[in-house]
Amino acid sequence: MPPREGTYGLLAEFDTPGDLIRAARQARQDGWRRLDCYTPYPVEEAAEAIGFHRNKVPLLTLIGGLMGGAAMFGLEVWISVLAYPLNIGGRPTYSWPAFIVPAYEWTILFAGLSAAFGMLALNGLPALYHPLFNAPNFRDGATTDKFFLCLEALDPKFDLAEAKKYLESFQPVSVVEVQY
Amino acid sequence: MAHETHAKTLPADLGAPAFVDGWQKRALIIGLAFSVIAAGLALADGSIDHVLRAWLLGMVLTFGFSVGGLALLMVQYCSGGKWGLLLRRPLEAMSRTLPLVFVYWVVVTLSLRKLYLWAAVGDVSAALKSGWINEVQAHAIEFKRPMLNPMAFVVTGLVCFAIWGFYTWRLNALGLQRDAASPATTPKWIKRMENISGPGIVVYAITMSAAVIYWVMSLDPTWYSSVYGLLFLVGQAYGVLALSIIVVISLSKAEPFKTILRQTEQHDLGKLTFAFVMLNIYLAFSQFLIIWSGNLPEEIPWYLDRIRGHWGVIITLDLIFHWLIPFTLLLSRDLKRNKKRLVLVCQWMVFARAFDLFWLIEPNFKDAAGNLHFSWGILEYAAVPVAMVAFWVAYFCTQLKTRPLVQTNDPHLAEILEPEHVHA
Repeated sequence: MPPREGTYGLLAEFDTPGDLIRAARQARQDGWRRLDCYTPYPVEEAAEAIGFHRNKVPLLTLIGGLMGGAAMFGLEVWISVLAYPLNIGGRPTYSWPAFIVPAYEWTILFAGLSAAFGMLALNGLPALYHPLFNAPNFRDGATTDKFFLCLEALDPKFDLAEAKKYLESFQPVSVVEVQY
Repeated sequence: MAHETHAKTLPADLGAPAFVDGWQKRALIIGLAFSVIAAGLALADGSIDHVLRAWLLGMVLTFGFSVGGLALLMVQYCSGGKWGLLLRRPLEAMSRTLPLVFVYWVVVTLSLRKLYLWAAVGDVSAALKSGWINEVQAHAIEFKRPMLNPMAFVVTGLVCFAIWGFYTWRLNALGLQRDAASPATTPKWIKRMENISGPGIVVYAITMSAAVIYWVMSLDPTWYSSVYGLLFLVGQAYGVLALSIIVVISLSKAEPFKTILRQTEQHDLGKLTFAFVMLNIYLAFSQFLIIWSGNLPEEIPWYLDRIRGHWGVIITLDLIFHWLIPFTLLLSRDLKRNKKRLVLVCQWMVFARAFDLFWLIEPNFKDAAGNLHFSWGILEYAAVPVAMVAFWVAYFCTQLKTRPLVQTNDPHLAEILEPEHVHA
């Protein structure tokens, strides 16, 4: 992919989560779709304000868990019944109660790993570069005490001058243009 | 941080809504109807044996609601949390139903000989000679005589009920005093409740273990399991949490719970219930795995009695009812946040708890061990416990109406009145 150039988006800075949420809600209502909120700690209402929808992490977790459980149970059955059958105290080689515990542990392990790595993958992480870090106020404030709303240039409604005026109507601390 | 407050205000009337009277009336009607059915079944069966067995089931189940409610009340005083404030008054009302459970227990005590082999067998060697009991049972009954005798049964029961009664009285009395006290004293009250509840939980765990060992485990004098008390403890939490969610959501159709029940706390309660569904199967399966692995003649017959002769169907259904259904359903975040569906799952869980007790109790008896078969008597399990739980619910409603439904002298109250997702 050739390096992208030009404007990534417009970044508005707010002092309180309340201001951010009001602006984000209004922007979403006015038809903006390519927009995102950045806050120093999780603000659930911000996600709702920009139309957070279901993701595939639960499905990935379920599939991961089932695969982990089936893999371990299969491994145990293969070892004990086919590969290396042993007579242990006269018990049947297919002793399913004894197989449950490791299979259960693998279910948990793989469900957990699938959730964690699935979340990262669906988030597009790890990312080595993000244009927003070009904005000095974002670098300094996004992880401490500032709340940001970014209207992205990919949105069909995006027009640099109009969008800037639009964002300024929310009376943010500042509105800056961010380059790729 | 500069942001406006949207806190809701608590309604002036914190009393139980009027429809609790309706619940009570309905419970009494169901109780009476099922009592009549139970009597009819006893006549058809021509014996009172199964009435008593089913009575024992109903007693253990309502005991779980009452003393389990007391235990959860103590747990929430120690753990804190907004869910605890939400449940506090319903749990107090559950704990105050102890007298009814005591009456149920007295009936069991009066029929020891009909229920417990160790009480029925007086002369062990004569019983062995006549073929009534086998050698293993004879040995166990004789060896355990110092513990398994009517006197010890009654004394242990009375001591346990006295201890539970003490904690019920103390926590309930202080709960009212706390509301009357000035808000300045709140920190002191929090400490005070913690100091009573902390040791109370330990005492509860010990007395409850002793009680279920006498009431349920000793039905088979030959068998023992060291995890038995814990299994019932978790089972009680399973039942009580399900019942609490039903009560809280049903109350939320009117004030004051309409105001204080938020989706966040409902979701939290659902998660807590899910944890107990998990813990319950974890312990039950551990016990099974250890005994199955050991395969010792002292232990394994207990499971064989509960697997062979069509009991395999019941144990499979038990796993599905008790674990698989609540587990898979409660995994869903949407379901835990949906009032109607969460209540349905919780009602199912209360049924599943009773079903599990049926599997635990009935195979202890000689005619049913390893031999599940139809008789008019076995239907008592669907009649007597329903009637007993219905009467319990009626009594619970009486208790629920006696106090305001929300404790006001608590710092969590301000938090619970705030809108959800507060901006920090």
